[in-house]
Amino acid sequence: MKKIYYSIPLLSVLLTGISCSKLTEKPESALVSEQFYLNQGQAVAAVTGTYRKLYETGQSLYNSLFQIGVEMATDDYEAGPRARNAHVRAISNLTHDASNDRMEQLWKQSYDAINASNLNIVNIEAMNQNQIDVMVQQRLVNEAKFLRALHYFNLVRWFGPVPLVLRPTEGLSAQELYVAKASEDEVYSQIIKDLKAASSLPNYKNYGDADKGRATSGAAKSLLAKVYLTRSDWTNAKLLAKDVIDKEGYALFSDFSDVFDIDKKNGIEHIFSAQFKGNSGYQGNSLASRSAPADIPGINGDYADALHAEGGLYKSFAATDKRLSVTFTTGMTSPTDGKYYALVKPQFNKYYDQTVVGNQAQSSKNTPIIRYAEVLLILAEAENELNGPTQEARDAINAVRIRAGVEKLSDTENKDSFRELVLEERRKEFVYEYQRWFDLVRRGANYYITKLKTAGKTNAAARHLHFPTPQRELNLNPKLVQHSDWLVK
Amino acid sequence: MKNFSVLSYAILVLLVLYTFVPVLAQQPQPIINASLIGTVIDGTTKEPIEGVTIQLEAVTHRVKTDRHGKFQFVTGQKLPFTLILTFVGYQKKRVVVNTSPAVIELSPTSEDLEEVVVVGYGTQKRRDLTGAVASLPENLLKQPVSSLDQTLKGGISGVQVTQTSGQPGGGVSIRIRGGASVQGGNEPLYVIDGFPVYNQAESTGVGSGTPMNPLASINPADIEGIEVLKDAAATAIYGSRGANGVILVTTKKGKAGHLQLNYDGSIGAQSVLKKIDVLNAHDFAVLRNEVLYDANPGLGQNQYRKQTELDQLGEGTNWQKEAFRTGKLQNHQLSLSGGAEKVQYFLGANYFDQEGVIINTDFRRLGFRSNINANPFDRLQVGANLSINKTNAQIAPSGIVNALLIMPPTATIYEPNGDYTLRNPFENIFANPIATLKETKNTSNALRVLGTSFAQYRILKGLQAKVLLGIDLNNRNDKFYLPSYIYEGAGSKGEASLGNLNGTSWLNENTLTYTGVTGQHNFNALLGFTQQENKNEVFSAGAQHFVTDDLLFNNLQSGSILTRPTSDTYNWVLHSYLARVNYNYANKYYISASVRRDGSSRFGADNKWGNFPSLAFSWRIINEPFFKQVFSGVDDFKIRTSFGTTGNQEIGQYQSLSTLYSLNYLFGNNVITGFASQRVPNKNLGWETTFQYDVGFDLSLFRNRLQFTVDYYYKKTKDLLLNVEIPWTSGYATSLQNFGSVSNKGLEFGLKSKNLQGNFSWNTDLNVSFNRNKVLTIGEGVTSYITGNYIIKVGEPLGTFYGTVTDGILQLGEENSKGALTGNANSKAGDRLYKDINGDGQFTTANDRTMIGNAQPDFIFGISNTLSYKGFDLSFLIQGTVGNDLLNINRQNLEMFTGQQNASIDALNRWTTNNPSQLYPRAKLDPAPVFSNQFVESGSFARLKSLQLGYSFPKEWLKNAHITNLNLYLAAQNLLTWTSYRGFDPEVTSGSNVQIGTDAGVYPAAKSVSVGISLTF
Repeated sequence: MKKIYYSIPLLSVLLTGISCSKLTEKPESALVSEQFYLNQGQAVAAVTGTYRKLYETGQSLYNSLFQIGVEMATDDYEAGPRARNAHVRAISNLTHDASNDRMEQLWKQSYDAINASNLNIVNIEAMNQNQIDVMVQQRLVNEAKFLRALHYFNLVRWFGPVPLVLRPTEGLSAQELYVAKASEDEVYSQIIKDLKAASSLPNYKNYGDADKGRATSGAAKSLLAKVYLTRSDWTNAKLLAKDVIDKEGYALFSDFSDVFDIDKKNGIEHIFSAQFKGNSGYQGNSLASRSAPADIPGINGDYADALHAEGGLYKSFAATDKRLSVTFTTGMTSPTDGKYYALVKPQFNKYYDQTVVGNQAQSSKNTPIIRYAEVLLILAEAENELNGPTQEARDAINAVRIRAGVEKLSDTENKDSFRELVLEERRKEFVYEYQRWFDLVRRGANYYITKLKTAGKTNAAARHLHFPTPQRELNLNPKLVQHSDWLVK
Repeated sequence: MKNFSVLSYAILVLLVLYTFVPVLAQQPQPIINASLIGTVIDGTTKEPIEGVTIQLEAVTHRVKTDRHGKFQFVTGQKLPFTLILTFVGYQKKRVVVNTSPAVIELSPTSEDLEEVVVVGYGTQKRRDLTGAVASLPENLLKQPVSSLDQTLKGGISGVQVTQTSGQPGGGVSIRIRGGASVQGGNEPLYVIDGFPVYNQAESTGVGSGTPMNPLASINPADIEGIEVLKDAAATAIYGSRGANGVILVTTKKGKAGHLQLNYDGSIGAQSVLKKIDVLNAHDFAVLRNEVLYDANPGLGQNQYRKQTELDQLGEGTNWQKEAFRTGKLQNHQLSLSGGAEKVQYFLGANYFDQEGVIINTDFRRLGFRSNINANPFDRLQVGANLSINKTNAQIAPSGIVNALLIMPPTATIYEPNGDYTLRNPFENIFANPIATLKETKNTSNALRVLGTSFAQYRILKGLQAKVLLGIDLNNRNDKFYLPSYIYEGAGSKGEASLGNLNGTSWLNENTLTYTGVTGQHNFNALLGFTQQENKNEVFSAGAQHFVTDDLLFNNLQSGSILTRPTSDTYNWVLHSYLARVNYNYANKYYISASVRRDGSSRFGADNKWGNFPSLAFSWRIINEPFFKQVFSGVDDFKIRTSFGTTGNQEIGQYQSLSTLYSLNYLFGNNVITGFASQRVPNKNLGWETTFQYDVGFDLSLFRNRLQFTVDYYYKKTKDLLLNVEIPWTSGYATSLQNFGSVSNKGLEFGLKSKNLQGNFSWNTDLNVSFNRNKVLTIGEGVTSYITGNYIIKVGEPLGTFYGTVTDGILQLGEENSKGALTGNANSKAGDRLYKDINGDGQFTTANDRTMIGNAQPDFIFGISNTLSYKGFDLSFLIQGTVGNDLLNINRQNLEMFTGQQNASIDALNRWTTNNPSQLYPRAKLDPAPVFSNQFVESGSFARLKSLQLGYSFPKEWLKNAHITNLNLYLAAQNLLTWTSYRGFDPEVTSGSNVQIGTDAGVYPAAKSVSVGISLTF
């Protein structure tokens, strides 16, 4: 029986559990939030992450979602032959409703980016001087504010009143999850506040080469000018545009094609762009493949984004317009059989990257979000609204026209015709740069409906000045109400 | 009681029985030398039995019979001898022998109730079970399949087994008593020789198509038995992993006695069950002409092919015929087993090779097993089970089956110049599937080492301590190459990637068991602590843009563009305390209670630990004297009931933490790494808890020739691990929370019948199971949500299809009255009409949907028959499901008569002005795909799942060749199927619990026939 006594310590060891393993989860290949924002490098990386929310993966905001979810609903664009998705075709035909998944994505991805900005702002502001250089700290906070303003500016133009979330979501309480809509004025005043703060960002010349692509004082002011223009606050729009023109050191490229030259990215005209780089373990600009021809051997395009020819955009270009050949292609030579193939109708060409023929998904061309030509056109438009088509207004638009190789505007235009000419100039200058829908709707329902009906999109109606608030959000958030134009009668 | 250790060499629980054997009064015998020789034979077959232990009563002297059943004693005692004969599978016999030589007959244990079944952390006699535990009929283990989970099909009530892919080595999905978890795992826990394994294919992120079934790296031929634990009484001992049921797998062990060398080999062939009828080239060209004319009438009626060309088109390319083939199967198993009293061993080697029914797909396994048990001394028993398996598979890339169906027959495999046709020439772009199949290298190679070893020490009578250590090493290597001359690789000019996964799981279990008897009180107790840790490390690398396609993935550095390498690592840890007590009074009143306390790393900081108790009672009425008097024909009758809770922890790792993920952006045209938050933290994240109640009875009649088992159960799973949708304004889409509940209730019937006995014997096993699944709650104020083609709705079962309802075809003249019901802006005669469900006068896909079917069967069944006559034996299994619906996505694709891709043969009956069909719409270039009841079909089927015919040569013929046993057999799988389902195979599922019953481009199932030989020396 002695053996029993020997066994007791052994048993107690076995059964009390000598554990060689720990229950606390510590991921080795992932960081958790508590470990972050502890030093400057991490703060920089967190803001880098927020820049990436300009477009993340797949059809994302500045990488084609603006085209698919927004621009399709204009007189210049339509769902191409390869855009088979019913939701996309619905937008193109203006039969979309509150369950349209592309519009849901606009909402979802914008708020995702806003939450990332909010995390940046709150956490970086809370860092102390031992953790981060004060200058860098201020700059990073302002970069995040610029990005937050940009996303709210998009949201308020698409959806009208939207929830104004300015703190990161850190829990699952009703208070944190259910936010009511703020009025458009409230949203705009926050945008203006953020952009004013971001105006103290460094001028682009004060960033090193390694920081090209970041938000700058010029970007913040230019965007602010555009915000004022959208609000018909002509005085401030002009003021800010002049400020950018006089003080920020931008200019037009002498050659329009330089705007989309991959060797001249982030050049003198580029104020703020979505950055792309193919074949680098990174991501290409998917607008290139979405607009490239599908039926030419070896090109392998998708042809999902097409010109809505009935809108007359292509025909509105003068034959001498240098923008024509950069903007469109009418035929291509096959890299496999060497034959030239003419296209049925012109297709967009701005992002077509000659270095990756046959694999346009890897296009390295940037998509401009705001460039100097637009600042000039903002000045022209604001000045015309304030004082009529003055010399200052004409100079501004003519700078853009001269560069394009079309004749200058004469001084015979009146205020109304000038307004229309600036709009038409914007239309031609910014084809496939996510501008058309915004330009149409800010001119009001009549303008929008007339333009679309003329282009054969007869479903256009006043409610289309805004997108419906996604049904999913209405279902999940008891404080949310549908946009008044979209309420079912 | 010194003989104790001798008899206990095999199975622990026999000990309990042995203590009941009355010790007879002993009379001293005079000691003189004497000898006794004899033969032990089977009482029914009169065949000699090898390995019977013969013990002279009252002394330690014991011998074993040889291969001819013979034994010999030389002893100091004289006749008559009292002998005790014991052998597994036979009734113990005590016999007085007066003459030598003696012939002693042993009777097989007639009662299956004496059968010992493996339960969690131990074994029990079937008659003593309080829980619902079922054993897989032995004949089903012999099916020539690639993985052990496939053998479960149709064999056990309450277990639904559905193939998720016909890919060789592909997976199956198993639901025991219905699925409950919406987003967590629903697969049962497998315990292989004591090692718990959750069967989930981890991804390396490389390759395309169905991942390999990890269980395919365990050789089914090594398996001795499979037990399925169903109710809480049986599964609660597995705590947080028991909610989906537990499958216990025991591998073959050596037996003391003569060395046995066995070779079992088979070869066979398999082919696809059926092909789907699609249009030939002529009919397709007519369709495309019609489509183009409709889109652009100005260009005439023959825009695609002129009338004269049409007639020459004929059949065109039959893509299915080009891709499907008769695949070869072969399986070779060599095993050596035997041992002496103190050491027993089983050694096995296996080679399995299966070609898929689609070209260039296959699966091969090379495996070894070594199972060794030893009793180095009386109180100690040690053992080690080790298996090493290497598997290689070439996998069909994803989307291939769909592409085979819709690739136009007018397209050719090759261009006139001999190059591959790259892709569908029309608007809907997808690659030439034959080029993809033939030229894509998509291999998955695994090396798995799974082993457990244990030492068990008897501290004192009835008290045993056991320590078990186990390890499961899983190394997977995926290799992928897309050559530049096929469509997928053309853009990247050749694309190679390699992925590696290193999985290590270790286990330590320490248990203490006590078995005791006092008078009529029998009890058995278990106490234990276990810990398991798992770590997976993954990395992948790749390159593009190769100068030559010759080097495949073997020279990544020669690609001029390197793709971003990735690596990841994730762990989980589980700590558990367990305890169980089984008590019975006079073998009449049974009670058992168990509890497991589990701590899992996967859950939130405030919710790491959970308790999973169970309680069960049974009443063996047969042992009540009054019952025997009244029902003399009844051999056994037992009523059982149990209740308890189990958990489900299958949510992946790190789900409660606010982890960050890396994402990059470009500054200065260089890629810069950034980070962003992945989810809102949830410190309260915890288990899914399943409460289960079970009541059942076991009844044996007519000298055990008829055995019934009936169970009713109710399972309620609460705190479902749900990715609850949260407003996007939070910056997140979902948050994993414990939310909502689902119930499953059902009835299970099992019947075992020995229809005929004697020279011609016939046994039937029948099982029928009814399960009803219902969503009870899905969160506050939410009554339903739609996910794809399904709705999850309170009061309805999971797997409810949600879509539109068709309502005929718009006919000429009806354009104005009914045009709004086509959903098209400009409706035209021939468009499909849909029901206006919300009554607003028009049809829209989003607003006119309703519930249009359900993927849950009314019942499932399996009937297995075994017949034998002399040397012949025949067994077959018919199984099926009744009352379930399937969503035939293949047909949805084929009924888009777009002319951009091939269409179903039904396109011949499409609406035209001359054929005002009410069933099939007109041809149209650009229809929106609409999910409707049109594509929800009955999935009921019955099939001859398996058929085996064997012949064993008479032993006398083999004697001279020193062959113990020679058996020739023929085995067939899926030979016949009765169903109205129009897809490849009604036995299909997507595998996800939300999308059960979707048939979308699944690798089709095959039927196979093999012939084989089994030879034992």
